[in-house]
Amino acid sequence: MSTVSTVVDERPGLAPVPAPQRRRRPRPRRDRAGYLFLLPWFAGMLFTVIPFFASLYLAFTDYNLLNPPAWIGLDNFTEMFRDPVWRQSLKVTFVYTFVSVPLSLAAALGVAMLLNRGVRGLPLYRAVFYLPSLLGGSVAVVLLWKYVFGLNGIVNAFLGWFGIDGPGWTSDPDFALVTLIVLHVWTFGSPMVIFLAGLRQIPAMYYEAAAMDGAGRWRRFRSITLPLLSPIVFFNLIQSLISSFQTFTQGYVMSGGAGGPANSTMFYNLYLYQQGFGQFHMGYASAMAWMLLVIIAAFTGLNFLMARFWVHYDN
Amino acid sequence: MRMTGLSAMTLGLAACGRGFGGGGDAGAGGGVQLDMVWWGDATRAKKTQAALDIFKRANPGVTVRTEYQDSGPYKDKLATRFAAGDPPDLMMMRIDSLREYADRGALLDIRAQSGAVDVTGLSESARNLATVGDKMYGIPSGLNTIGFVVNKTLTDQYGVRIPDGNTWSWQDLSAFAKEITEASGGKVYGAHFEAGTLANLIVYVRQRGEDFYTADGGLGVTEATLTDWFAMFRTMRAEGALPPAGFVENLGSSAEQSPLAKGQVAAQIIPTNNFAVNQSAAGGNLALLRVPGETTEKRRGQSIDTPALWSVAAGTEHRQEVLKLLDFLINDPEASKATGTTRGVPANPAVADAVKPTLSPDDQIATDYLVSLQKEELPRAYPLPPGSSGIAADLLTIATEVEFRRQTPEQGAKALLESGRKALGG
Repeated sequence: MSTVSTVVDERPGLAPVPAPQRRRRPRPRRDRAGYLFLLPWFAGMLFTVIPFFASLYLAFTDYNLLNPPAWIGLDNFTEMFRDPVWRQSLKVTFVYTFVSVPLSLAAALGVAMLLNRGVRGLPLYRAVFYLPSLLGGSVAVVLLWKYVFGLNGIVNAFLGWFGIDGPGWTSDPDFALVTLIVLHVWTFGSPMVIFLAGLRQIPAMYYEAAAMDGAGRWRRFRSITLPLLSPIVFFNLIQSLISSFQTFTQGYVMSGGAGGPANSTMFYNLYLYQQGFGQFHMGYASAMAWMLLVIIAAFTGLNFLMARFWVHYDN
Repeated sequence: MRMTGLSAMTLGLAACGRGFGGGGDAGAGGGVQLDMVWWGDATRAKKTQAALDIFKRANPGVTVRTEYQDSGPYKDKLATRFAAGDPPDLMMMRIDSLREYADRGALLDIRAQSGAVDVTGLSESARNLATVGDKMYGIPSGLNTIGFVVNKTLTDQYGVRIPDGNTWSWQDLSAFAKEITEASGGKVYGAHFEAGTLANLIVYVRQRGEDFYTADGGLGVTEATLTDWFAMFRTMRAEGALPPAGFVENLGSSAEQSPLAKGQVAAQIIPTNNFAVNQSAAGGNLALLRVPGETTEKRRGQSIDTPALWSVAAGTEHRQEVLKLLDFLINDPEASKATGTTRGVPANPAVADAVKPTLSPDDQIATDYLVSLQKEELPRAYPLPPGSSGIAADLLTIATEVEFRRQTPEQGAKALLESGRKALGG
């Protein structure tokens, strides 16, 4: 799993970078001091880089942790396409990502715009809305969520007032993933904070000028807010997509590690973990990790290609 | 003694890595430090430590460094320790992981140690639990089996008679459970047990005269039996004997969170070593019955099982000491008096008898149940083959799909056989 997390670091440029002032060559002495400060990071990198390449090798082997790995070429990769649970895990992860990421970004932007209208006590609201982001991935909150969405939980009690007999949100295979998607959307805080920062960068004069020309609220949003905010939207989109593809904790805790009911919360990384540590198919798990890296890279690359058509950089 | 320096270094490193103080190894007094790992909670830790203290007093020079976790992370950690070439000397081993390790030469054959651990006191079914071919890769740390518990408070309240637990059939269970559901007006469901739990299915399969796993580690269960198993649940659910699909939520594995404890169901299958905790969680008026069908089907289905085995790493550097510790844990009544039934009933019946008077009345009920079962003639059970944990996972998935009517019992049976054969490398 550590192999995948390295992808997160390829962050796209947040805002237009001012032209670097590289007239003078920096003195090598100061370079050295810089590298010295970076030393702990380099040392830490070893713990990432070595397993990273080890897992690349293991991806082409049959490795059960107890005996030395045996080279089997591409067998792990061809096996994936024949493995129905692998396909299911991919489906779960895709549905989860493509439903929850747009919804959570929309919620983040919506709340950010509300907060941007000069509410009193902004820092407090910001903190309150940000809180779920900090907690959403934690074990305690997922457990709490299980009770909230339990058969006799708050949600069903609420539905009961309207005469609706709520389903077993976590025990019914048709609804378990929905519950996790709602949980994910609820944790819109971190993109929201970034949106809020972006919104405050948009000069008020644009809105004033547009209002004078008779542009309505929607028109102002479409023609000013969205284009000027598009680099931030892009950044948030990439971040959310990558982290969503790597979802693990929520599925693990909600299903007690099994990915159930009926594999309906079998996230890609959960299946990877089960294969590696549950069934000692460490070669297969490594191959899955690299496949996920390829998938994430493909989607990120695709986004960068499409960004040309909708992301506008100011200046 | 050439190895000493090196082993002291690796052990020292390992100790740092895991943040456990642990004194020096084979240092000054020529003492030996054993590395022992197991899973469980703080209560079990206290009881285990009490037993180890007795051992330490009798064996000066031997120290035992222990480490424990919850069962989930334990499994991961054990695997990584073997992979890193730093296996513990003595470890608690899951019954469904045994052959994953043993078949790869990672565990010591305890039978080949010229009687360093005396297993002659154990019943044959207890000895067979970890016997692969003629080799013995583990000793049950305690024994258990499954049983049906019935909440007598509820049956009294609704005036339903409990069938004879030694001779009841699956039809009796169904009729009994249905009666409770009806008498309570649907407030309480008659029974709860899972089609997706392998231990339950294995009993049913054995009763039908088949072995779920055969002696050579293949699948012996037929499609017809699996179909009947899934169909039985569907019928019982439709009749109201069992709660509707999705009613029982996976909120946690503790007894307090079970539908039995919440008074939602009147009867439930439990592992017998959990009888006392279920008893206190469910109000203290439980009867312990056998699994239905033991006298009405082709043959006996129940078996003597274990919550966990003790295994020794093949590469241990302190073979003599670790076997001595194992022998103490299995055969010394003082050890079992200290640990109680935290890992099930002591595997040695003589020890179980010696310990019984010190147990709580509830633990005594569970002990009696198991001791009497051990005296009966039961068909032999075989250790779970490698890949079994995958089959258990598939069973759970397929049973849920049948429960929610995404598959028919026939389709479920076919799918399980297919994935099972694949998991066993067929």
